Amino acid sequence: MKTTSADLHTEEKQILAVLKASLALALAQEVSRLEHEGAAIGIQIRIFSQGKVLRIPKITNGGSALSLVFFSPDAALSVFSGGKGLAIPVPMKLRAFQVLRLFQKTSSRAQELIKAENTPDSIKARLLLSATLHGLEAVSEDSWLRRRMQIIPDGSVLVRSGDIRFVVQKRGSTIVVAEDTHAEPNAILSFKDYQSAIAVLSGKRQAVVALGLGEVQIKGLLPLVQGLFAVLDRLAWYLGVQV
Amino acid sequence: MKERAFTRSKEYFERAAKIIPGGIYGSKSPGFLVPGHFPYYLEGGKGSCIIDVDGNQYIDFLCGYGSQIVGYGNPAVDLPALEQARRGDLLNQPHPVMVELAERLVDLVDGMDWAVFVKNGTDATTLATSISRADTGKQIIVAAEGAYHGAANWCSTNVFPVFTSAEQRDVRYFPYNDSAALEEIFKNNRGKIACVILTPYHHPTYKPQQLPTPEFLAAVERLCHIEGAYFIMDDIRANFRLSMAGSHSYFGAHPDLVTMGKALANGYPISVLLGSDVLKKTASSFFITGTYWMSAVPMIAAMATLNEMERLGGPQRLAQLGGMLKAGLETLGHQAGFAARVSGPLAIPFLTFDEDPDLYLNQKFCAAMADRGVFMHPHHNWFISLAHSEEDIERTLDAAKSAFAELLQSFRQSNGDSL
Repeated sequence: MKTTSADLHTEEKQILAVLKASLALALAQEVSRLEHEGAAIGIQIRIFSQGKVLRIPKITNGGSALSLVFFSPDAALSVFSGGKGLAIPVPMKLRAFQVLRLFQKTSSRAQELIKAENTPDSIKARLLLSATLHGLEAVSEDSWLRRRMQIIPDGSVLVRSGDIRFVVQKRGSTIVVAEDTHAEPNAILSFKDYQSAIAVLSGKRQAVVALGLGEVQIKGLLPLVQGLFAVLDRLAWYLGVQV
Repeated sequence: MKERAFTRSKEYFERAAKIIPGGIYGSKSPGFLVPGHFPYYLEGGKGSCIIDVDGNQYIDFLCGYGSQIVGYGNPAVDLPALEQARRGDLLNQPHPVMVELAERLVDLVDGMDWAVFVKNGTDATTLATSISRADTGKQIIVAAEGAYHGAANWCSTNVFPVFTSAEQRDVRYFPYNDSAALEEIFKNNRGKIACVILTPYHHPTYKPQQLPTPEFLAAVERLCHIEGAYFIMDDIRANFRLSMAGSHSYFGAHPDLVTMGKALANGYPISVLLGSDVLKKTASSFFITGTYWMSAVPMIAAMATLNEMERLGGPQRLAQLGGMLKAGLETLGHQAGFAARVSGPLAIPFLTFDEDPDLYLNQKFCAAMADRGVFMHPHHNWFISLAHSEEDIERTLDAAKSAFAELLQSFRQSNGDSL
C-alpha cells in the first residue's frame, strides 16, 4: 500500500492534488456561509500538469474573482497540505488578494472547527459531509475506479443528516455533488443524527457497523449507494497518503 | 402486531464488527436487508420456520438462500446424516455413497454422464469454466450481465484493477435473452470463446426475474456448436425446484455441463459438476481436490434429500404452493393500488413493483412483512420449500394484506415521495 505522495504515479498525484484543492474550496465555502454571511469564495483553482489543466469540481456559484494557478500537482499538494509551494494569483489586483486572504482564512478555520470540541455538531457534520462528498467528486476521475464506476448504476443519492441535505449524482464515470434539488432521488442515505454522521465521516465508526446498528439508513437503489461506498474507500486511501 | 426487538442480534453484530471484516460479510450483510426490521443472527429453524437469537419467529421464504428444500431439521435427512457423522465424515478415502450419489444424479439429470463433487457453487462453476478452457484451448468465458456465478475472481463483483487486468479480462457480458448481442460477442471473438455460462433463467438481485425465450436458448446452443464452445448451465440456485431432471430439462436446453448445489443436500455442504461424455476425458485429466470435497455426511444427506423431495411431491408441489403465493400477492397488491408483480418460476418467486424500479416499495413491504413474522428478502428472489404448507401461505397472505395497507398509508403520507 502506497503511503507517501512520492510513491504515487502521475495520475494518482494529479487526483490527489485535485482532491486537496476541492476539499479546501468546499470547506472554505462552508465556513464562508457560516461565518461570513455567505460571501462567495469566488476562486478558481488551476493546476497545470503535463500540458493540461486539471479539472477542479466547481464548488462556488459566485463569479471567479481570482484564479489561483499552480504549475505542478506537487506545488498544489504542498500548499493544500500546509506546506510551501508556488501559487500565482491571477489577476494580481487588490480584490483578488482579498479573496485569496478570505480563502486562506476560511480554509484554516474549517480545520479548526472540525477539530474543536465545542463546535456544534450540526456544523461539524456539515463540514465533514461537504468535504467527503466533494472528495467523491474529485476521486471519481481516478482510472482505478473507472471499471468500478461502470457497474454502478446511474442515479442520484440524497444524503441527509438533520437539515443537511446534499445530492450526489452519478452519471457514467462522473460524480457531481449539489445541494438538495428536491427532485426524487434513486436512493437515500441518512444519518440518524449529527453525531452518527460525525462518527462515520471522521472514521471513528465503520459505516457498515453504523448501518447494522441503525445509525445510518440506506433506502432505494442499493447498488448505487453500495457502489459509492467503493468510491469512498478510494477517497479514504487518497486521504491517507502522506504529503 | 408485536414490536420485535433485535437486542441480541445487535450485540453480536457489534462484537463481530470488531473482529470480522464487515461484521457479517457478503450477501448476509445487514445492509442487504432492511436493518431494524430483520434479524442479523438466527438460532435455528424447524420445517418452514426460523427463529432468531432474540426469539422472534418467521415463516421463511429465503430458505437458507435456497438450500432448504425439504425443511429445517427434517429427520428424513438429518438422522442418516447424523448417523454417518458418528461413524466418521471426512475419511482418508471416499465413502461408497459417493458412487451411489453420482449414479443417482447421472440417472436423474438430463444429458449428464459424469459427476464431480465439490463444496460451493463457486467451486463447481469455476471447475466448469476451467474444464471448458482446458478442453477447447480457448480463453474467453461469456456470461449474462447481472448473473451471479459465484465469488471467485473471474466472476465476482470484486472489481479491482489486479483482477480486471487478469481473471476478469477474458469474461464478456451480454444482456440476458439478447441473442443479437450474444451473436455479436461471438463474431468479435471468433476462435477465442471457451464457453457460455448461464443460469437456467435470469435471477439478478435487485431486479425482476426473467425467463429464457426458446429462441434465446436455441441461439446459445447454435452459436456454441458453430464456435466449438461449451454451454454451461449454472443451476446452483434453482436446482430441483423446477424439475428433478434439472432446470435445463424444464426449459428444453441441452448444456454440456451442469452445476448444482444449494438444495442438493438440504443445506449440507455439497455441490456438484455434472458433465456430458464429450468432456469426461478432460475432466479425468484434471487434478480435482479439496480437503472436504469427499466428506461422507453431505453425500448421505444428498441421497436422503433426493428421496424426501420425491416423497413430498417435488417440483409439482412447489409450483402449486408458489402459484398460490403469487396469485395471492398480486391480487392483494393490485387491490391496494400497486402494480405488484411476482416474477420468475412459481417455486422461486420474487415480488417487485412496476412503478418503483428503485425498490423503495420492496424494502418497505418486506420490512412490514418481517414485522409480521414473514421473512421475505427485499432484494433477492425467494424460495418455496416442500416444508411450506397451505396454512403457511394463507398466514403469509394475511400478513401481506396488512403490509400492503401499511404501504399504502406510508405512500399517501409521503405524498408519493420516496418512502
